[in-house]
Amino acid sequence: MAPSGAAELARPRRSLAVRLLVSEYLVLALTAVYFVVMWLLVPAIATADTLLDILAAMMPLLVVSIGQTFVLIVAGIDLAAPSILAAASVVGASMMTGEGGFALFTGVPILVGIIAFLGMGLFIGLLNGICTTRLNMPPFIVTLSTMMFFSGFALFYTSALTDDGSSFGDLPSAFVAIGQGTVHGVPYSLGVAAVVMLVAHVTLSRTVFGQWLYAIGRNPRAAAISGVPVKRAVMWAFIISGLCGGVASILYTGRLETGTPVLGQRILLDIVGAAVIGGVSLFGGKGRVTWTLYGVLFLSVVDKGLQLLGLDLASVFAIKGLVILCAAVLDAVRHRLMLRG
Amino acid sequence: MQVTRRAFTVGALVAAVGSSMSVMVKAEGGKTVALLFDSLVSPFWVSGIEIMREKAKSKGWTTLENISNFDDNKQFEQVKAMISRKVDGILIIQTDAKAVIPAIRAANAANIPMVHFNRPPAKSDAYSVAIQADNRKIMQDTVSFMVAQAKKMGGKYKACILIGDLGDVNAIQRRDGFFDIVNQNKDIIDVVGRVSTEWNADKAFAGLTNAIQANPDINFLVTSSDFLHPQIEQVLKSANKWHKKGEAGHVLFGGFDGDEGAYARLQDGYLDACGVQNLALEVDMAFGAFEDLWAGKKPEKLLLDPGFVISQDDLMAKRDTMWGYTVWKKMQKG
Amino acid sequence: MDVNAAPFFTAQGLCKSFFGVQVLHDMAFSLRPGQVLGLVGENGSGKSTTMNIVGGVLPMDAGRMTIDGAEYRPRSPGEAEARGIAFIHQELNLFRNLSVAENLFIAGFPKLIKGLPFIDRAKVRARTQELLAAVDLDVAPNTPVSRLSQGERQLVEIAKALGANARIMIFDEPTTSLTTRETDRLFDIIGRLQRQGIAIIYISHILGDVMRLCDDIVVLRDGHLVGSAAKADMTIEKMITLMVGRTIDQMFPPRDPPVTLGGPVLEVRGLSQRGMVKDINLSLRAGEVLGISGLMGAGRSELARILFGMDPFESGEVSIGGTKVAALSPAACMDHGMAFLTEDRRAEGLMMEASIADNVALASLPKFGTTWARFIERTRLGDEVTRVSKAVQINARDLQRTLVKNLSGGNQQKAVIGKWLLHHPRVFILDEPTRGIDVGAKYEVYKIVNQLAAGGAGVLFISSEIEELTGMCDRILVMAHGEIRAEFPRTDFDREAILRAAMWHGLKESA
Repeated sequence: MAPSGAAELARPRRSLAVRLLVSEYLVLALTAVYFVVMWLLVPAIATADTLLDILAAMMPLLVVSIGQTFVLIVAGIDLAAPSILAAASVVGASMMTGEGGFALFTGVPILVGIIAFLGMGLFIGLLNGICTTRLNMPPFIVTLSTMMFFSGFALFYTSALTDDGSSFGDLPSAFVAIGQGTVHGVPYSLGVAAVVMLVAHVTLSRTVFGQWLYAIGRNPRAAAISGVPVKRAVMWAFIISGLCGGVASILYTGRLETGTPVLGQRILLDIVGAAVIGGVSLFGGKGRVTWTLYGVLFLSVVDKGLQLLGLDLASVFAIKGLVILCAAVLDAVRHRLMLRG
Repeated sequence: MQVTRRAFTVGALVAAVGSSMSVMVKAEGGKTVALLFDSLVSPFWVSGIEIMREKAKSKGWTTLENISNFDDNKQFEQVKAMISRKVDGILIIQTDAKAVIPAIRAANAANIPMVHFNRPPAKSDAYSVAIQADNRKIMQDTVSFMVAQAKKMGGKYKACILIGDLGDVNAIQRRDGFFDIVNQNKDIIDVVGRVSTEWNADKAFAGLTNAIQANPDINFLVTSSDFLHPQIEQVLKSANKWHKKGEAGHVLFGGFDGDEGAYARLQDGYLDACGVQNLALEVDMAFGAFEDLWAGKKPEKLLLDPGFVISQDDLMAKRDTMWGYTVWKKMQKG
Repeated sequence: MDVNAAPFFTAQGLCKSFFGVQVLHDMAFSLRPGQVLGLVGENGSGKSTTMNIVGGVLPMDAGRMTIDGAEYRPRSPGEAEARGIAFIHQELNLFRNLSVAENLFIAGFPKLIKGLPFIDRAKVRARTQELLAAVDLDVAPNTPVSRLSQGERQLVEIAKALGANARIMIFDEPTTSLTTRETDRLFDIIGRLQRQGIAIIYISHILGDVMRLCDDIVVLRDGHLVGSAAKADMTIEKMITLMVGRTIDQMFPPRDPPVTLGGPVLEVRGLSQRGMVKDINLSLRAGEVLGISGLMGAGRSELARILFGMDPFESGEVSIGGTKVAALSPAACMDHGMAFLTEDRRAEGLMMEASIADNVALASLPKFGTTWARFIERTRLGDEVTRVSKAVQINARDLQRTLVKNLSGGNQQKAVIGKWLLHHPRVFILDEPTRGIDVGAKYEVYKIVNQLAAGGAGVLFISSEIEELTGMCDRILVMAHGEIRAEFPRTDFDREAILRAAMWHGLKESA
């Protein structure tokens, strides 16, 4: 029942380099190579603090990318992810902010806030799901529209409800701790992301629902004829993506102590990119939570390395381009090897 | 084997590029400061970072740079990376005044001084120093200069102001600075137009067009930002009011910021005066704050740049301190 | 043709493996100038692999080829072409938007002055006309290829090969998309090429054509060379025997034990849908194989799709297993024990990029995930998938890892059948179950159908091949214009009568 992957092509009698190249761990190996090169340039990358930083910073991205993985597996795409982060951030924060949060009177503003985060994610996910499955609209168009609408909504909501029109601050410290706090040096966000990852992994690999998602991505017509409730399953994929966006928004908002309408407006490429770099197919039917984890790790380490270098913008672009080019070259070689059999 | 050889080549290439880069990042002794910008999209910021690099170099400091591209979360990561690099100071231009607070806290915890350039953070228990242009004062000085000109020429004036987005503190301060002065001179100046631009060029264009249709005799105009000059020029031209100083029908015109467009219009004689943010001074103040902090002193949380007014009279004497002139000069060359 | 001429091309001991499975063992043959060599075998027997090795598309793992005694080991199709070997592909390799002349000279135009990039248009036209005349193709050199018929395009390919001075031309199933007239013309051309001393390798499923054209015939089975003989020593019967490895005295397996019919498992009353089917009444009993015959567009597949809930219907009622099912949908039909093998297995039957095991499991997943979170019982599912795959004799090394796209058509079809068998159907609708699969696999599919019927399932067997229906079914319904036109019990099976009923072109009944 293993989801399809590179493992199917693994065969004996090949050199270590070739086997690594066609294995699903290629991205991990690339990350390690990059890390070693960076380590020579900026030894600070190998300190415990930096490593912990990388780990803490990648958790929200990991959660939202896992949501995206579900949608990619059914051959969809959720471009609305950044707007889910932003809309959930401002609506959730507006419940809890010390400057007149809506839910302060309830006595449990944090609880209401968290429900608002998740509710916003669920709502946008549901909307995406309904439009794609009931109205038969292409996911690209649907989520592009919802992305624009809810990004605008987040800006409007913020400017209408705050004095300076830019963001919601003064969040309860117990909420902020979800994004920032640590227990014995381990960030809470790590725990949250680990739970999301575990549930997502088990769902995809061990449950009927997970297998349905793969089947839909591989051949929706064959799946429908085989009794798979295609529409319902696709709808759930979008809802899961929305919920993951809500959870990620909690982590981001807690980290920044601020509900901001520009949260994640520029990380769409990171979200989809992390999954695809890890090996999740844009054409559906192929992907694993662990692959997405590798992709997120790769992007986070690349980013941290560039940040530590502290070079001017032109050099940063040049290096990032080079790294991506290397990855693309390796991917092309890997494809050729796989085809050759 | 072909593949491994290729992989090797690629690896070697990365290593080669990397090692050449390491020369650049190696500290040459002295202090290291991080310059964290949220973007380099306007000439103001490009000039700013160039002045910073230059001044740091002359002090024997090393600079590290990071651009967050308006992403608060990414900027937080960059601050953390700079803390890992154990820099001696962090100069930051954040996107959001509240979202920067965790970054200030992190810098405080690591005992690294943090200075905000041009944009102060929201109030919090965290400590950092912000350098900001004294908008109200600069605007007061600019309008005072214009009023003095008006008195010299004599007559009564119908005034109009282009106001920025009132969600922006800078816009409010500039508006207040304007009214501080005109209200003291009600005898010769009557404010007939208040155009709300919301920092939007199209709105500015439409608003000013309406104002001039309602009051065709407007002859005293102030904009809260120089980026609106092209729209103003267009509206005045079509109303046949775009004339140089000294020509008949000249509109007394005051600007704010001191960008390259403002310099060009000053030089050409259309703009009478401009309130300039003293970018070089602000950099000096920021670096001075670092030095004070390293020396154990605790500067005020907000330090103000008094700026200066530049006019056609003292253009040649003062232009070298005007950042827009530097940009303009570069554009003439390129 | 000179029978006594010495071979100029030899191949010995050719071997090839894919993914650790050897698909070609010690293949050997030789070619004389002007010889036509027929290459026959079932799908997946190694014909295409052999030709891809000769044509430089695939490298060989072991073996040796020579041309004029010199070692021949092509690393690319271009190299094969340079050594005089031309491949006339099943899917033609022409640039549709270019003209005939441009296609012929795409690899290198004659230049006005050597070394300068000016094309000698006059020479191009003259040479094109010459080449087109050689293949009897009467079109202007500047005609765009997109305006030519399939057969004409093939002739352009042959002309291109002639232009490249090919000594060996490989034809892979050249007649599949040709009309009878085009086929005749192709055979004439092949004869002409032969007289010019060009050697031909002719691959085809149509054994009659092979007998008609070829001087010598080579038979492959499972990657092994199982027979090689001159035409005089070969018959079609012998070819089939060699291909399938046993004599087919019986095309259809016997029903064993003999037919015993139970109660009705599928009943259809007055089913109509405008433009599709009209007033369909039928009853399928347990243990019965009910055939549906008819021409293309007679409404057979449409009926099947409506019955399985994939398309809507306007009126009528359907009972499955004695229960009336009001809202038909694939899921509802499956709940009542119905299964449906569609005519298009690539688009609707299989997930090509997934493993055999994943495909076989697909329709039955909920049965193996009954706990609160619907975790799949992987061991039980794995065991069941293995059992079913064995029962339908899927020929693959590893069910969990072999991708369906790497299987032959027959094995792919068995995977679809396996998927439905795992679901234990009481009613099984088979739409063209043997389309595009080879003789051996067909026989195995027939055996599975018989076993299903013997196990008490009702089978609705839709086919365009009347032989197949008369061989397999207990009863045959004939459809035309969306209606059931005739019914034949087994005792009255008559090929001609069935065909006549299907071709019924009489006036439509009033209204």
